[in-house]
Amino acid sequence: MLFFSYFKELVGKEVTVELKNDLAIRGILHSVDQYLNIKLENTRVVDQDKYPHMLSVRNCFIRGSVVRYVQLPPDGVDIDILHDATRREARGG
Amino acid sequence: MVLGLQRLTEQDIEASGHPCLDVARGEELVHVQRDVAIVLGDRLPESPGTLYISSRRVMWLSDINRGKGYAVDFFSISLHAVSRDPEAYPSPCIYLQIEADAFEDDESECSDTEFAEDSDLSRVTEMRLVPSDSNQLNTLFDIFCQCAELNPEPEGDDESGWFFGDPGLPDDGDQNEWQLSEELANPIGYANGNHDLAHSVLQLQIDDQRFEDAEEMEDHPHHEPN
Repeated sequence: MLFFSYFKELVGKEVTVELKNDLAIRGILHSVDQYLNIKLENTRVVDQDKYPHMLSVRNCFIRGSVVRYVQLPPDGVDIDILHDATRREARGG
Repeated sequence: MVLGLQRLTEQDIEASGHPCLDVARGEELVHVQRDVAIVLGDRLPESPGTLYISSRRVMWLSDINRGKGYAVDFFSISLHAVSRDPEAYPSPCIYLQIEADAFEDDESECSDTEFAEDSDLSRVTEMRLVPSDSNQLNTLFDIFCQCAELNPEPEGDDESGWFFGDPGLPDDGDQNEWQLSEELANPIGYANGNHDLAHSVLQLQIDDQRFEDAEEMEDHPHHEPN
């Protein structure tokens, strides 16, 4: 839940989503849902040689369960708010 | 739940020509799209057929070879996208990545052609659906999104749990107390010797089951300590 709220704050920013199959896709975060399914726009594949088929893709929907990491823009992290939220989550969770 | 692409046969098809649905388990037909070609991996496109999207699966049945078809559960669809760049594929299409079974059957002996083909099917990790009317692509994309959201991971996935970037984090089995008592002197972002909170956050695994209950936090924005 914390991450759902958190990622919602990042809508409109550029993120890189790395999947468990090692595919990494960079794009503008269009939306995220409670399962952390992620929609990206203006996407590009980081390792284009390995996944040539993905070159044509400009927007995509990624299933939350196949996401390994999401790399965030440094200015997209409000450390104070995140501190507070993670503490509350740790106490209440 | 079955990973990967499945073959549909005559017995999966009703007299009406529609695929049989698992109505007892709540499967409903959401959308039917005629004149859709299917491309499995790098194979050649298969003759136009009909695409059936249910609340649980994507199915394709050949219009020409009755009894021939494929199905894939939304559980197995890692990613879907609209592909329009003619350099990547000549026709605009819906591109799907499929989470296939681990390739552990490499050594198995498949003398029967049908079995060999099914074994190949389980290794298909990419699939394209090419509607004759490319104006339908955005509609199809949205339907895929809606249906994917109907199929979250089943309960009991044992991959839950926090994961920090530093594997040296001591696992003392008493983490709640640790977090509370150390909290002021040692904020959680710095707790494992990693002095860059942003970096720590990058490393958090986000498929944790605990993040799936959207309603709980909204009802109780201020959690009481347990």
